[in-house]
Amino acid sequence: MKIHQFLTSYSYGDAIGNEAFEIRNYLRENGIESEIFSLFYHPKYSNQIINYLEYDKFSNEDNIIIFHFSIGSPVTKKFLRMPDKKVIIYHNITPYIFFLDYHRVLAKDCYKGRVELKNFVNKIDLALGDSKYNEGELKEMGFTNTGILPLVMDFEKFDRKADPVLIELFNDGKNNLLYVGRIIPNKKIEDIIKIFSFYQKYFDGNSRLFIVGEYRGFERYLSSLYSLKSKLEVKNVHFIGHVPENELISYFKLSNLYLHMSEHEGFCAPIPESYYLNIPVVAFNAGAVKETMNKGGVLVNKRDFVKIAALLEHIIRDSHLRKKILKSQQESLKKYFKNKTGKILLDYVRNLT
Amino acid sequence: MSENIDNGSEDFISTCKEINVEEIIDSIKKKIKEKKEAGVLKQKDIDEINDMELLPLPDFLEIPNVYEPHLYPKHKIEGFEPFNLDFELETGTAKKILGKIRKIFSPLTRFMIRPFLNDLKNLEVELHNQNKEEIHKLKQLIPIVFQSKEYIKLLHNFMNNMIVELSKLKIEEELLKTKIKVMEDKVEFMENRERAVEKKLFKE
Repeated sequence: MKIHQFLTSYSYGDAIGNEAFEIRNYLRENGIESEIFSLFYHPKYSNQIINYLEYDKFSNEDNIIIFHFSIGSPVTKKFLRMPDKKVIIYHNITPYIFFLDYHRVLAKDCYKGRVELKNFVNKIDLALGDSKYNEGELKEMGFTNTGILPLVMDFEKFDRKADPVLIELFNDGKNNLLYVGRIIPNKKIEDIIKIFSFYQKYFDGNSRLFIVGEYRGFERYLSSLYSLKSKLEVKNVHFIGHVPENELISYFKLSNLYLHMSEHEGFCAPIPESYYLNIPVVAFNAGAVKETMNKGGVLVNKRDFVKIAALLEHIIRDSHLRKKILKSQQESLKKYFKNKTGKILLDYVRNLT
Repeated sequence: MSENIDNGSEDFISTCKEINVEEIIDSIKKKIKEKKEAGVLKQKDIDEINDMELLPLPDFLEIPNVYEPHLYPKHKIEGFEPFNLDFELETGTAKKILGKIRKIFSPLTRFMIRPFLNDLKNLEVELHNQNKEEIHKLKQLIPIVFQSKEYIKLLHNFMNNMIVELSKLKIEEELLKTKIKVMEDKVEFMENRERAVEKKLFKE
């Protein structure tokens, strides 16, 4: 049996791309031949990823192909034309409305994505969502054979040593808040900055906010965030941009709290990552966030910025509460270990054959 | 593992069973109240920040052409007929009817106006020649009018393109400003990083 995967794009540090790599590695470890085919990928990965148009050479009726679906692209057509057994992993598509003011092309692709997704109904063997929320959307669209496969994550990479220079640089007694993820409008970075402005002005002047993540393609959004930052006269807000893994680990290790205010999430990988690195998580209840939190951390149900700022201060100051939160997070994390999710995938796949 | 308290959508936060949510909420409220009473935190400031909205840079594709829809509509406007410059003084049905009437009354009118007929004939010829000249002049002007119309349209298009290009430049300028800010932050970060490395090396 051979199991291959299709992606629209693989970019470094991207959660979906990382999952595809983890799945490939897991399958190979279990003696199953596996390759990744993608439309776009960084030249750095040209020895690991194959152009999706070359799949014809690999195609076979006995093969299983998995498509990580998150946006509209020409890969859909190719995937559907193949005679192999077909599985999609639906990572959710951000509603196009979020991108209208900032990225028309992406807005169009997201809109197309939802239309394309309907084409999969009755044409594939299995539709998996990486959360119950995503599976619910699949069912609503008319998919019958559905299931849940939590994001396959490799936490071992976080056991690596942090960048000592960064630790030296920022380990100065300030309380650090962290956000990790792309700088895109649905993540509501403006709300994080507003909360931080209340936090810094009224609760903890000795604090810092790290916003770590890719902003290329969303310079117009970044520009408005910079304007907001100067309007609020808030200090120590660092737009770090995209960083290599060892630096990302450093930012996690430097932080006292992880804050996530996104309005739409299909899974939200930084939450389990923060759990793993023992950082208390405060996240807004939207999309699949509640499910991903898995009864750990603190879930915020209302966008009351002052109250959230006071809550952050309470969690950072109260070590007893902090311990309780971290304990709950450790329990919740168990769901996400690679062997567990990898086994779920293999079970689904074996049922198909 | 504890069960999550589901206190309904009215709750500000939810977390695991071991954590007392009410206690946290009370503590938060107390803190905010204290700050408000001390005059540090004002409701006006809270509202101001809450209401602050992001101002996205405009998209140059959204800049409308102000001339096109009003001055050069692609579709016919209801009730509006373009003015025909290729006219004749008497045309079609009107000409026929006038001819018939003239036929009936011409013997009588000829008799009545016989004393002035020659003068009238001369006047008619003169008027006809004058009109002909006017029409000829007008017809000569038509290509110039059309040319000017096209030229003005071209100018309007040029103006619109200028507006779009200037807007693009302005947006580009704003984006470059942001990129400079990002670069400034990165340079500052690199300087700090360099200092930290030096400090560490020097220590060792």
